[in-house]
Amino acid sequence: MALIDKVLPGYVATLWMQDDATPTPLTDTQLGTWTAQVTTIVGTSAGGTGASGMQVPVEAIPAFGSDDAVAAYGIAGQRTGAKITTQNQPTSMTITSAWNSADAAMLQIREDGYSGSVIRTYVVAVYDGTDTVAYAFNARVGGLQWDMSPAAEGKFMFTLHPVGGSSYGWSTNA
Amino acid sequence: MTMQLNPYVYAEAIQAQLASIVDVPVYANFNRNYATESQFLTWQLRNVHQPVYTGQTQSNKGIDTPTFQISVFSQSMGNAFNLSNDILQSLHGYSGEFGDQFFVAKADVFWLYNTYDNELGLNQIILDCTLYVPA
Repeated sequence: MALIDKVLPGYVATLWMQDDATPTPLTDTQLGTWTAQVTTIVGTSAGGTGASGMQVPVEAIPAFGSDDAVAAYGIAGQRTGAKITTQNQPTSMTITSAWNSADAAMLQIREDGYSGSVIRTYVVAVYDGTDTVAYAFNARVGGLQWDMSPAAEGKFMFTLHPVGGSSYGWSTNA
Repeated sequence: MTMQLNPYVYAEAIQAQLASIVDVPVYANFNRNYATESQFLTWQLRNVHQPVYTGQTQSNKGIDTPTFQISVFSQSMGNAFNLSNDILQSLHGYSGEFGDQFFVAKADVFWLYNTYDNELGLNQIILDCTLYVPA
């Protein structure tokens, strides 16, 4: 099968996490391996098998990837300087969910946030009804916030801080 | 890069999807002859549109977001509400194969209003459903 060959709207992206209270995060190699690894975290509604994962009911998937870090140089006598990329870390993802105090994924993220040391594998899965492209990464949870503004439904916000290094990977069922 | 689906396919899919949700007749457009039936629904497609991005390459477009209006007719106001509820429960937030024709990323149903046609003796409820079709 080929990769998904079409423009996809952002809301076909879903977020999944390992469901163990004390998870064993995927290795760097496994993070880029769909079969028997990433697919077990992604649920069937997004093309995975989902035996060891659960969906995080987010409002929207924020931008992810790597941060832009450069060293800028100005050289005397030159008209322009230069930007040299440095080692970029994976981007932290600040996520907003509609707060449901009975949702298993939110409760687990709350526990992880209190702990601060649990490293868990998360997967952003993009699914077109047939094929899935997944971005998996290992992260800790920080920045738990609840916003009970009376103007809207209660929000639960948290930030996934990737552990960095090479602990992220792309994979696909193709 | 994306392609425009044939609106004929949309029409087929809407007809099929609505017919699978309700047990009453489903028609495209209203016909006075239907007014003798105790309950039925009609639909009309509009707003087939993909945003167009920077020119020169015709396929440089976003996803299509067609809307169809659903008009639920019933001699009983209660049935009209319940039929509309069936559609709302089934379609709103739906993601998957639509009418066995194509994949919709999501369907978004907006209940507009209910009204009554005294001449026909029919309650009506008008709903809009927008489809988000990556293709």
